[in-house]
Amino acid sequence: MMAKEIFMPKLSSTMSVGTLIQWFKEEGDSVEIGEPLFEILTDKIEIEVEAYEEGILLKKYFKQDDEVPVNQIIGYIGEADEQVPDSSPGQSASEHDESDEEIKQSQPAAAEQSSPPEEKVRATPAARRIAKENDLNLSIIQGSGPNGRIQQQDLLDYLNSDAEKVKITPLAQKIAKEQEIDISTLKGTGSNGKITKQDIIPAPAESQTAITSARRKMSGIRKVISKRMLHSVQSVPHVTLTSEIDMTNIKELRQSLLPIIEKQTDLRITYTDILVKAVGSAMTRHPQINISIDGDEIIQHSSVNIGVAVAIEDGLIVPVIHDAAHKGLAEIVKQSKQLGKLARSNQLTSENLTGATFTISNLGMYAIDAFTPIINLPEIAILGVGRIQEKPVVVNGSIEVRSMMAVSLSFDHRAIDGAPAAAFLTELKQILENPYELLV
Amino acid sequence: MTTREITYLEAVREAMSQEMRENEDVFILGEDIGVYGGAFGVTRGMIEEFGPERVRNTPISEAAIAGAAVGSALTGMRPILELQFSDFITIAMDQIVNQAAKTRYMFGGKGKVPMVLRTPAGSGTGAAAQHSQSLEAWMAHIPGLKVVQPSTAYDAKGLLKAAMDDDNPVIFYEHKLLYKTSSNVPEESYKIELGKADIKREGTDVTIVATAIMVHKALEAAEVLEKDGISAEVIDPRTIVPLDKETIIESVKKTGKLIVVHEAVKRGGIGGEIVGVIAESEAFDYLDAPIIRLGGKEVPIPYNPNLEKAAIPQVPDIIAAVKKTVRK
Repeated sequence: MMAKEIFMPKLSSTMSVGTLIQWFKEEGDSVEIGEPLFEILTDKIEIEVEAYEEGILLKKYFKQDDEVPVNQIIGYIGEADEQVPDSSPGQSASEHDESDEEIKQSQPAAAEQSSPPEEKVRATPAARRIAKENDLNLSIIQGSGPNGRIQQQDLLDYLNSDAEKVKITPLAQKIAKEQEIDISTLKGTGSNGKITKQDIIPAPAESQTAITSARRKMSGIRKVISKRMLHSVQSVPHVTLTSEIDMTNIKELRQSLLPIIEKQTDLRITYTDILVKAVGSAMTRHPQINISIDGDEIIQHSSVNIGVAVAIEDGLIVPVIHDAAHKGLAEIVKQSKQLGKLARSNQLTSENLTGATFTISNLGMYAIDAFTPIINLPEIAILGVGRIQEKPVVVNGSIEVRSMMAVSLSFDHRAIDGAPAAAFLTELKQILENPYELLV
Repeated sequence: MTTREITYLEAVREAMSQEMRENEDVFILGEDIGVYGGAFGVTRGMIEEFGPERVRNTPISEAAIAGAAVGSALTGMRPILELQFSDFITIAMDQIVNQAAKTRYMFGGKGKVPMVLRTPAGSGTGAAAQHSQSLEAWMAHIPGLKVVQPSTAYDAKGLLKAAMDDDNPVIFYEHKLLYKTSSNVPEESYKIELGKADIKREGTDVTIVATAIMVHKALEAAEVLEKDGISAEVIDPRTIVPLDKETIIESVKKTGKLIVVHEAVKRGGIGGEIVGVIAESEAFDYLDAPIIRLGGKEVPIPYNPNLEKAAIPQVPDIIAAVKKTVRK
């Protein structure tokens, strides 16, 4: 048997390099199919990659924070005594482009079903024996011995306590352990009350109130945002158009739709959901906005895919609602809620994050009137949305109280000019002020 | 059986005397063992009872004493030789290692070497670096030798009987500081089989395997530990070759923790062997704390009495080791 290559997967058409965030295995560890093997950061997401071969991890050619071109061989899995090259032999010979298989295997959801490595758990032989006899995962046990060593008594205490009834995914266990979170304080939101990764991530934030000054390395996602924003600002001539939209009718529309959609989906429709639909409609009427730039070519897109910026811990991520123009509001509500949830739990897949042709960034939940958004390349425009505020407005010669909302459209002046951009924004204003147009 | 309290020293003498009355092939040889009674007085009075033919004073040559013993054993005698200090075993080394331990094997069992080498070991008498060592691990390393380390008068008498009955060379280490300790010992002759450890104190929280004088220190430590609610089991292997692995393994399986204590220098000491036995055994899966070995410091035994004490494990060291291992 030949040792099998481990290579940097290509997870999207635009991915050319991936950054290795961490290995979950050490050289010499045995690896099962489906076990998380390493974690990478692409230009869009962080993702755990699972092993698709079983055997011994023979070699790791790259370490944390290394940027590795896609398909570059980063290690080998094989039999214990197999010989592998001392340095990476370069690109994997096999065809791996856009390999669906790997993308599917990298779903964090799947990763949670396999066991995390136990090699690093400090436990006495007696503790290991008892864990094995009781089919317990040692990584969830708090060791009370020297250096946190797990001893027999810790296992017995655990078995005698109610802790055994705590259902937790292995991934969540690992995080809880790393962050020294007491899992008994957590409430599980997964199926049957299982504690999942997202139940754990907010925990440290709550407990840490004192902030001390410190210098730390940017997280992976921070680096990505930093790079992409700088690139956009430095390379794209931004022009921002602003307009104030009377949202009184939309407010009413939303009020009347709330119970209907809640009945259908159990979810509440938001202004953002309505904006997605409205922008989708406006863009089908103005296809010159639904383009992107690649070098000196302009790509016209056939479907309108709207990205919605979602704030997450230490960053911002833009999941995509595909074909927004042709989706009903209930469908949009369902999808955006689902994507938001996945985003906050860091479970978005490559598919959820690619293919947007326009982005909406809504800061209306804050006391923000208006702002100038930065374009999310390779898109050519982005809509910044401010808060809805009741204001005195002149309507037909008299002053009325209306619900007003400022929007800002930043566009790439390389791709389009002021007039078509203004026409698009006017169209959007028209739709939002006369929401029956959404029916058309 | 009638018992009475006698000293360790008296128990050794009694075992020899009883055997010599029964078996005229048994005789003793060594330096100043006659009228003087040996360096520690073990053979005092024996020359009067058995005469100079059977209690033979020798020149000051451990090589010659050992060689004479091996030769006479091969001719059918059952010699007991006494070396004044076990440190001098180095001089007798060739006779013991290359002759006594090998002959029976090399002659296909046609010859045998039924001899007992008795010798006082250990520190604590202010006898300094050349008269205070514990070199039993050297002997234990040689196939063909049995190595005995009694810790009580009772054990000394019974084990010496077994050693004298054995058809192979037995190295019988007597601890100098134990000579004056006493216990109830039966008057009649009895035998304690070589290779049978003795659980000197039963316990559940930690196993302390201790040899020779360390058995007493371990028992003292166990006494103190009991007040802190720690139940220590003290095992005296009594013979390090053959070693009663079973008893130690069973005890560690019960307690999950092991401390090994001997006076000999820790590095290369028999403690490492005992720990190795546990690591290789089924008791491994029952270990619930790292094993701790206590042994002599890697220094020659100092003459200064305070330093002499500091060079080997003492009761507080054993207590500290147990407390590090058992968390209660």
